[in-house]
Amino acid sequence: MTSRHAVATVAWPLLFGAIFLALWEAVVQIFDLKPYFLPSPSSILEAFVDNFGIIWDATVYSGTNALIGLIAGTVLGVAVSFLLVRFRFMTELVTPLAVALNAIPIVVLVTVFLNMYGATSDVPRRLMVTLIVFFIVLVNVAKGLRQVSPTHLELLRSYAASPTAVLLKARIPNAVPYLFTALKIAAPASVITAFVSEYFGGRDIGLGRRIPSNFANSRNAVAWGYVLGACLLGLTFYLISMAMESTTRHRRGAAPGGGA
Amino acid sequence: MTTSAVAVSKVSKVFNPGTPGQVDALVDIDLTIAPGEFVSLIGPSGCGKSTLLRLIADLIEPSGGTITINGKAARQARLDQEYGMAFQQAGLFEWRSVEKNIELPLELKGWDKTQRRERAHEMLELVKLPEFAGHMPWQLSGGMQQRIAIARALASSPSLLLMDEPFGALDEMTREHMQAELLRICAETHTTVVFVTHSIPEAVFLSDRVVVMSPRPGRITQTIDVELGGDRDEDTREAGGFYEKITEVREALRGIEQPVVGGVDDR
Repeated sequence: MTSRHAVATVAWPLLFGAIFLALWEAVVQIFDLKPYFLPSPSSILEAFVDNFGIIWDATVYSGTNALIGLIAGTVLGVAVSFLLVRFRFMTELVTPLAVALNAIPIVVLVTVFLNMYGATSDVPRRLMVTLIVFFIVLVNVAKGLRQVSPTHLELLRSYAASPTAVLLKARIPNAVPYLFTALKIAAPASVITAFVSEYFGGRDIGLGRRIPSNFANSRNAVAWGYVLGACLLGLTFYLISMAMESTTRHRRGAAPGGGA
Repeated sequence: MTTSAVAVSKVSKVFNPGTPGQVDALVDIDLTIAPGEFVSLIGPSGCGKSTLLRLIADLIEPSGGTITINGKAARQARLDQEYGMAFQQAGLFEWRSVEKNIELPLELKGWDKTQRRERAHEMLELVKLPEFAGHMPWQLSGGMQQRIAIARALASSPSLLLMDEPFGALDEMTREHMQAELLRICAETHTTVVFVTHSIPEAVFLSDRVVVMSPRPGRITQTIDVELGGDRDEDTREAGGFYEKITEVREALRGIEQPVVGGVDDR
């Protein structure tokens, strides 16, 4: 039953994807669309395979920036959220800052970092990803640590639990699903930030720079090959965050096999 | 004279004192409960019955007066885990299995693992759910969750059980079953109970004494002894004396001036 369900879950999107690609291929062939307008899936795949080495390198470069930023941002976000819960006054200091930073198109900060660290440094891009991930994790985990059920808090008080015990027995376990929710948002965001931050200068070896530069040189199928690489990278990050989240699913009582 | 299980003396509680939002939640409360007694607090919303329960539990502090449990100040009694508590929400920790939920108060008391496990299984026998030790809370019905909550409240063998509308969210059938179960459990464990409820039949069926409260400001208006004997079962609900007591409590509640704020009284 469960395995049949799993097959159905995978089979339908796959079938839909196949039909979509077939239609795309057909439209390109029938209307004789020029490659500079829209290349066919088959030619994109061909370009992807032919240029796999350089696409792979670009993917690894952007992916590394995203991953480092994701890890650093998560660690920082979790650490600061603990501080916020421990020292209430800090919330009033950090929250307006977080709101302000989220209100401006924050990616432009990468130009500031490039100015600080130099155009050949990868630090500005990684710092940018860190910053984006940091706020997503901070907001969610702080909420998870704070929004403990009042009944749980009253029970723990009735057990004469120390503040440390309240943290360990109620706040942290309560925050775990919030962390995974944050990662589910932060993982794709880290990839997007890594791409976009490449546009603001610095080395041109990442996916974010290779896509427009190939289009500019009329190597459209290759550019699309890079797009495919970018899709696969984003998907990988998302799937990893989903897999991590599913390790805590049993406790919330979500229907087994229930979708995202 | 034996020490009373709960002694509330001249207790008052004011919320937000000195502000425009000041509320006199309770004034001049005196209540003494003997060991082994089952006492219900009943009254309309805002009469302070839950507040009184929380004061006894030292979850909040009184503005005036004193509260002792088994002769100890309420705060010391809480630190010594002299009482167990159950709420309308079962409040099980959803990331802990049923047995680990029951073990939590023991964990915080510093019991070792084997002792805790053993005790948890005894408690599961007591509430007649031994086969659910390894289940997660979400796999249990509302009534079963509430039984686990009672098992947890009684795990460290407290002499006093404080309950805040524990069956309020259950359907009528489950509720009556749970009431009978609670009486059985309390008889087996000789536990004193303070029980907050909205339901007149529930209060009468369970209690040795029903304390009727009225709002604005919250105070005790009447105390009714329910002399239905110690051996109550489903037949008790159909006995003549049961109806008389229900009528008596209802009339005591009727005597309370209903607040006219918010429009017509629909009773």
